[in-house]
Amino acid sequence: MEKTNENKEMTAQESLSLINEVLNKSRKSILRNNGKHFILWGVLLTVLSLGIYELWHITGNPIWNLLWFAMPIIGIPLVKLISRKDDAIPQNVISKQISKVWLAYCVFVTSIFVISIFTGLIELSLVIVLLLGFAECISGIMLKNWPIIISGFILGVGGAFAAALMPTAAEQLLLFTIGGVILVVTGLIIKFQYK
Amino acid sequence: MFPKLDPILHSELRLAVMSILAEVESAEFSYLRKQTDSTAGNLSVQIDKLSAAGYITVEKGFKGKMPCTTCKITPEGIEAFKNYVTALKEYIS
Repeated sequence: MEKTNENKEMTAQESLSLINEVLNKSRKSILRNNGKHFILWGVLLTVLSLGIYELWHITGNPIWNLLWFAMPIIGIPLVKLISRKDDAIPQNVISKQISKVWLAYCVFVTSIFVISIFTGLIELSLVIVLLLGFAECISGIMLKNWPIIISGFILGVGGAFAAALMPTAAEQLLLFTIGGVILVVTGLIIKFQYK
Repeated sequence: MFPKLDPILHSELRLAVMSILAEVESAEFSYLRKQTDSTAGNLSVQIDKLSAAGYITVEKGFKGKMPCTTCKITPEGIEAFKNYVTALKEYIS
């Protein structure tokens, strides 16, 4: 946008164009900022899932799964750190709804994880990967981005199917590594889409 | 007969500020400045005019040790912005 001038006389067409231009610029900046969060959580998910897989594989002890609780402990301060640097970018309706979808995902996953620890009745990886794909798919629908919608569907449905076929729970962790990579790619797609 | 355009909104910078605020819950001064590519002094004057008209509220606070001004559109501001856009469309059609 050119430098705004308070006293410039605008025609009706110019006024509408200005509204459109400013809205688009602001919308792009807000949604592009969302991409950073996908990349951050994707990297964290990839690193943690690989780390837990390796530790579980080497020691044979599933206790390493408690390291999943490190995800919010590391992730939330990092989110605050990158938010401080982004020049106070506000949220619009779409970015707010996407945040709520992922907040709901976290609540569901934490609840299922705790229930599973105490009962052992739930096929944990299958449910979590299905939810991960579902949240990814909903994000894609909100952003009107087909590659994100399709990758969410493949991750959720394909991941759940793969989890059912995988022989050990330790191997199922690799599905979350794939999930993490998909989140990183999603973040990059968002950054590119709203460049 | 064409409807009269709101003189408060019929200014480039004020209209740009209102367009941004219509989409978000609230926005900081630094964000508005960056998005409108305006000077701090000019933006400050226009924000005061919008605030005096009751179209936005301005909250001055601190973010850490730095002063932080946050602007938010009011229901009157939303109504005025809607009416302004409707009037513009009538002019064009």
